[in-house]
Amino acid sequence: MADLAGVNGQREHFRVVGKPNLPGRLSYALATGIAKFGIDYVLPNMLHAKFLRSPYAHAKVVSVETTKAWALPGVVDILTWEDEDLIKLSTGGFGPPKPWLDNIAHEEGAEVAVIVVAESEEICDEALRLLEVEWEILPHIVDILEGRKPDAPVIREGLPEIPSMFGMGGKDNPPKKGNVSYSYVIDGDIEAGFKEADHIIEFNLTIPAFASHMPNPPGSVAWWEDDPYHAPGKTLRIEGAVQRREQIAAMYGLPLEKTVQKGLFQGGKYCDWGMRRSQEITPLLAKRTGRPVRCVNTREQTYDFLMKQRYMYLKVGFKDNGLITAIDDYSIADGGVPGSSTFGTSGDQSYGPYYTFRCKNIRQRMEIVDSNRGKMYVSGQHCPFNWDAGTMAIYLIAEKLGKDPIEIAKINLHGPTSQDDPNPVPSFEACLEEGKKLMNWNWHPAGTKRLPDGRMHGASFRYQICPRHAFSGYDCKLEYQNGVVHLPTQGPVTGMYAVEVNAMVVAEELGLEYEDISIDFDYREKFTPVGGGSDGTTASAWAMKECAHILKQRLLEAAIEEAENPPRPTGMFAMPKPPSPFKGMNLKPEDLDLMDGKVVLKSDPSIGVPLAEAVTKNIFATYSGRPPDALWSLGMGRMLDTMNTAFCEVAVDTETGEVEILRFGVVADPGKIMRLTSLESQIDQVMYFSQGCQLLEDFVYDKKTGVKLHTNMIDYKKPGVLDVPHVERKFLETRAGNAAYGASGISHSLANTHLVIIAIHNAIGVWVDPPATPDKVLKALGKA
Amino acid sequence: MSRGEQMKQGGSMVLNHEAAQAISAEKVASLPATPAQYRCPICGKISVNHEDLKFHYANEHPDSVVPIVVKLNVNGKDCEVLIEPHWTLQRTLQFQLGLTGAKQMCDHGACGSCTVIIDGRPVLSCITLAAECEGKRIETVEGIAADPKWKPLIDAYCRWDAMQCGYCTPGFLVTAKALLDRNPNPTEEECREALAGNICICGTYPRHSQAILEATMKMAEGGE
Repeated sequence: MADLAGVNGQREHFRVVGKPNLPGRLSYALATGIAKFGIDYVLPNMLHAKFLRSPYAHAKVVSVETTKAWALPGVVDILTWEDEDLIKLSTGGFGPPKPWLDNIAHEEGAEVAVIVVAESEEICDEALRLLEVEWEILPHIVDILEGRKPDAPVIREGLPEIPSMFGMGGKDNPPKKGNVSYSYVIDGDIEAGFKEADHIIEFNLTIPAFASHMPNPPGSVAWWEDDPYHAPGKTLRIEGAVQRREQIAAMYGLPLEKTVQKGLFQGGKYCDWGMRRSQEITPLLAKRTGRPVRCVNTREQTYDFLMKQRYMYLKVGFKDNGLITAIDDYSIADGGVPGSSTFGTSGDQSYGPYYTFRCKNIRQRMEIVDSNRGKMYVSGQHCPFNWDAGTMAIYLIAEKLGKDPIEIAKINLHGPTSQDDPNPVPSFEACLEEGKKLMNWNWHPAGTKRLPDGRMHGASFRYQICPRHAFSGYDCKLEYQNGVVHLPTQGPVTGMYAVEVNAMVVAEELGLEYEDISIDFDYREKFTPVGGGSDGTTASAWAMKECAHILKQRLLEAAIEEAENPPRPTGMFAMPKPPSPFKGMNLKPEDLDLMDGKVVLKSDPSIGVPLAEAVTKNIFATYSGRPPDALWSLGMGRMLDTMNTAFCEVAVDTETGEVEILRFGVVADPGKIMRLTSLESQIDQVMYFSQGCQLLEDFVYDKKTGVKLHTNMIDYKKPGVLDVPHVERKFLETRAGNAAYGASGISHSLANTHLVIIAIHNAIGVWVDPPATPDKVLKALGKA
Repeated sequence: MSRGEQMKQGGSMVLNHEAAQAISAEKVASLPATPAQYRCPICGKISVNHEDLKFHYANEHPDSVVPIVVKLNVNGKDCEVLIEPHWTLQRTLQFQLGLTGAKQMCDHGACGSCTVIIDGRPVLSCITLAAECEGKRIETVEGIAADPKWKPLIDAYCRWDAMQCGYCTPGFLVTAKALLDRNPNPTEEECREALAGNICICGTYPRHSQAILEATMKMAEGGE
């Protein structure tokens, strides 16, 4: 059992932690519309702002004449990229410093060159139409296979090569050529590995581009208020720049105390932390106009972030028993527009798809092609540890050897002590065994099983680690005031019920119920339990558990002190405290415990005093820290403890090309279940993400113009309730993680890009690139 | 005094159903019966009444379409709102009545986040002109939340985490209420069909049916 470093990490009996159906602390606000998101704010006298957006995939605004727009009634302000106020704005995000608003648009729909502020959105639109813009249309790349060709137009001269941005990827790379940067990561002896192999397979894999999963339109409302209690000058109020108050303060040169964001509701960004310009610019516009300003990216304008497309060629050498001896991976990846993260490109090499393999001979070479498709930040579905090249390799080896892919996975997964350790962790074995039972697993070779209705049956399997973030640590505070335990937190609320898990742990440790813990949301607080989905939650809960223990110790000390020396009653008619049963017993804190809301004698729990009576003074406890051994600090693959497995069964109609996912099966070991209901939902969510990118979602561009063809929720299909398959879930609790009580969480580790695709191959014996739409299935079958 | 009561007296604050209901009821009660002001959407000038605003338009913005006053019945309250004729119902609810439960989301009638009930039917308020809603009975999530009859549904939504980020949730809940209005005892399949127009990117789909079915049972028992 892990969590050896934490207090009560080995706890065996749980009253609160793991309970299902405990409403989130803000669930009623969300369900009833009380919750206000950034763009919900409407203020008196509020103005609206809009950006000029490029109709071209790549273009430069050479000049812009604003006279006619200024003359339009209702226009209040117009800024261009040459305006001093804009030039002075500092930029954040990935990559080198760049102008906050440029006159070059790197994708269709990009904000460029001009901002208009007016009495209404319609007047903004009309003013934008009245601008006389001289565009210089620049060559564009929306097909990276075209963009990598030697004769392709070079779209980004002078900008640094992508692999240098984050220090990730290869070190001694070939110099950039045309649109292509290179990142080579070479481990071991690839040639020796292939010589050692009994078999070699080669295959091509396509990772699709699909949309960022931000559900709500990002935007902000800002205004300036008088503030006599802090430093001179007005205070900025901004709503909608969620989790970026510090960034906004820095951007506008404000002390943090004078940058106020009270709203809690962020929406579901799922690690898509890239902030849109609409969430940053309103303070400047409000300052210039002296009025509140609202600026929104519509849902259409939120298709600017995407998961990067990648083409991979893999050559894998392996022994007769399926043990991989060498991997040669050559990828062509979409580098996106400037400011993209290296996750999805060279960053994936550092945290690549092969890190759980025993094989040490791995060569990863990547071409990163500049494009005009969109920006990539970091997203749950695109997390580097989710690439399915390793899963594909296992499946293909199994096909080649006529063996069950689960057996191939077992042989290749290394154990927890080192890459040479041949014994996978117990969590892996347990997940596999439960998975087999759950799915009635009976592997068959590709194209060999027909269902009674005539469709072909396919099945697939994959495993993943349950990752650990916790890289930033947590600053926790608990306040015992007037008999109530308060947990102050800044939010934001992102849908993962993070603070609730922390409250459950506090209740567990203090002998209280979940409902007893007052969660006090306050933007000024330091504690925020974000950081990597459920594993960030469990990590923050570990730190909060330590904090609760400190508070408990102080409460017990205070109970003894007040028993021996009852405080004088306060208030005119206050009665003295009744004598404590602990008085005169010469107790030490270790003689007492907290149980069911009382301070009780350990040796005889029937002797107790309600906590609020036993301790009347106010007590604070703080703790800063994090559980040891975050995955990110040790390196991917150097920590194997809690695992998960996912399965998929499909039926493919070879006449129509239609694919039906009969069911997903998931067996996950989060270490310890902290909050069951949201854990289940998290599984559903990532499996639907996975379904979407493999069957439905795709970015389609007009190659001639570079324009995105389906930036709306009708044409860009997200799964609906009638589309999603049944997800059968089973949880194991090995307590092998490092966070609270041996939890690790699951985060988004079950998201995948090829589980369904492999099942389709298993059904029909031919590969279909995602998304596997009926027309592509029929084409693969030679029927279209 | 029970420990729970002690805790509450000590200041523990929970936004439970009772609190949400009270806040929602207050929102409904404070819906303005007439426009708070007759503000020119072009230049911001405040007129004393609609006639004065029309006069202002005739003089200052003769080529523009004059804002109109529309009589809406929202959550049982008659409200006159001053809007431009092209305004959607979603925009009117948010910008003129302060009701933010019908969310701005896809603007195409494709996601259901803006769902309201008009004369008993779920309607997408982002593609419905407010001017078309005169004389019709409009129900929003605030009205549903203010009505204690729907406590079991809201409780069930919260118990089952039928929301993650929560942005789309009011739209689902309104659709669910419309379903239960016409079919108090739906099957799971009927729940799914009713919710087919609501998109949740967080993947909460199975939770909605669970919540609706649990609420159905509770409501049939007549209890909370």
